[in-house]
Amino acid sequence: MYDAKTQPLASLRNIHKAYGNLKVLSGIDLDMSPGERVVVIGPSGGGKSTLLRIMMGLEQITEGSIEFEGQPYITALNGKTRIDANVRKKMGMVFQHYTLFPHLSILNNLMLAAVKTRGMARAEARDKAMQLLARLGLEDKAGAYPSHLSGGQKQRVAIARALMLDPQLMLFDEVTSALDPELVAEVEQVMLELAEQRLPMMIVTHDMWFARNIASRVIFCAGGVVVEDGPPEQVLGDPLNPRTREFIQRVFHIHG
Amino acid sequence: MWRGFEGIMKIDFSFLSKYHEALLMGLGTTLHLTVICFGFALVLGFALALLRGSKIAPVAWAATLYVEFFRGTPVLVQLFWIFYCLPIFLGTELSNFTSAVVCLSLYGGAIMSESFRSGLKSIGREQYDAAHALGLGPWTRTIYVLLPQAVLRAVPVLLSNGVGLFKESALISAVGMAELMFIGSTISNRTARPVEVFTVIALIYFLVAFPLTRLVAVLERRILRRLAI
Ligand SMILES: Nc1ncnc2c1ncn2[C@@H]1O[C@H](COP(=O)(O)OP(=O)(O)O)[C@@H](O)[C@H]1O
Ligand SMILES: [Mg+2]
Repeated sequence: MYDAKTQPLASLRNIHKAYGNLKVLSGIDLDMSPGERVVVIGPSGGGKSTLLRIMMGLEQITEGSIEFEGQPYITALNGKTRIDANVRKKMGMVFQHYTLFPHLSILNNLMLAAVKTRGMARAEARDKAMQLLARLGLEDKAGAYPSHLSGGQKQRVAIARALMLDPQLMLFDEVTSALDPELVAEVEQVMLELAEQRLPMMIVTHDMWFARNIASRVIFCAGGVVVEDGPPEQVLGDPLNPRTREFIQRVFHIHG
Repeated sequence: MWRGFEGIMKIDFSFLSKYHEALLMGLGTTLHLTVICFGFALVLGFALALLRGSKIAPVAWAATLYVEFFRGTPVLVQLFWIFYCLPIFLGTELSNFTSAVVCLSLYGGAIMSESFRSGLKSIGREQYDAAHALGLGPWTRTIYVLLPQAVLRAVPVLLSNGVGLFKESALISAVGMAELMFIGSTISNRTARPVEVFTVIALIYFLVAFPLTRLVAVLERRILRRLAI
């Protein structure tokens, strides 16, 4: 049995990932406690998306293993990646680009997976979906189609769609990067509310203000390894590593 | 020059009113044939598109060969082959209607499989990722996420393919079936007035095809707007 008091929620061991000859991750180690909100920062192309996609079971790994709630989740053996489908169900992910199903109404976007893969009754799924939409201030959009929504509304629906399946860990990959600036806040607000409810999250973002607000821990990834790992005040405010320092200065310079 | 001018002066469509029933019947046969072949071609095209994406190489290969063959040979040759040669192999006669249906369906299927395929290809990786992240298995993913989008995207092109079949069906006159083109040729031969007859025939084809091609344009805009994520 998993004991949240003593065991890490997720532990990544020596994760390696290569696309052909391109080494993207070269030995990531990370223990994440329950209720932690880990913000991953780092230069573009540094493998942040790859790390989250691996956590979601969307990518194979070349080497290493991941345990979740004390159970084996992902292991690389002889070049083959084994992913435990039952553990995988505990992850939820929201992507940078809107990934709603454009041919389905908002309500059906939320209900599809719950009904088709979790065997939830339609009525029950509908109630749950409506509750979630209400919580995110989107109840009047239930019958609308994704193309009628603003970018911010679409990302909130994408979050609601993931929450339908009661994830134990939420993965957010630059979910506000494609948004117009005035729409960023409404999405970040939702994520901050989830943080208050202590939903564990891994978040990739370039928004340092947001990172400081939501993170319980910040990780700086570059060159395929974790360069610095610590509380937000340290990593974002007074980093120990010169590479982190240089990156933070550059990002704060750009984003004000 | 002088004779040509005289010829143009003598143009008079009124005699065709005598033939309007025959022309309508011909149009009826053409439409009937088009609708039947459109239905068969849709089913065949869809199956071919799926087979071409098959992981079993020989299956994908056979489907591709089929499509390339029917796209790469004249429809008239296919029609003659089916009408004159296929009965030799089957050991029974095929009526010209049956030959026409077989030919246009097989040809239409090849064309439409391309339309379905481009519909499938236009679905971005994000949709696969999202479906995967929600734990949708291959079956659910295909039936509820990929196919509806592929079909929706393919609707305008498929409709144009249907208009294409409608026009190609004029070739069927070559095996003596009394569709619109055949009726037109017959009237023209009997009256020796090809200018009037074939002008009217062209107009009839156009009057049916034009609204449909307009509809294709409207649908295309609507569907693209709906599917713009
Ligand atoms: N499917 C893929 N095939 C090949 N290379 C890829 C693929 N996905 C990502 N990469 C490469 O891996 C590196 C890391 O990408 P990514 O994880 O997206 O970085 P980040 O999210 O930090 O910007 C980049 O150099 C990128 O070009
Ligand atoms: Mg990225």
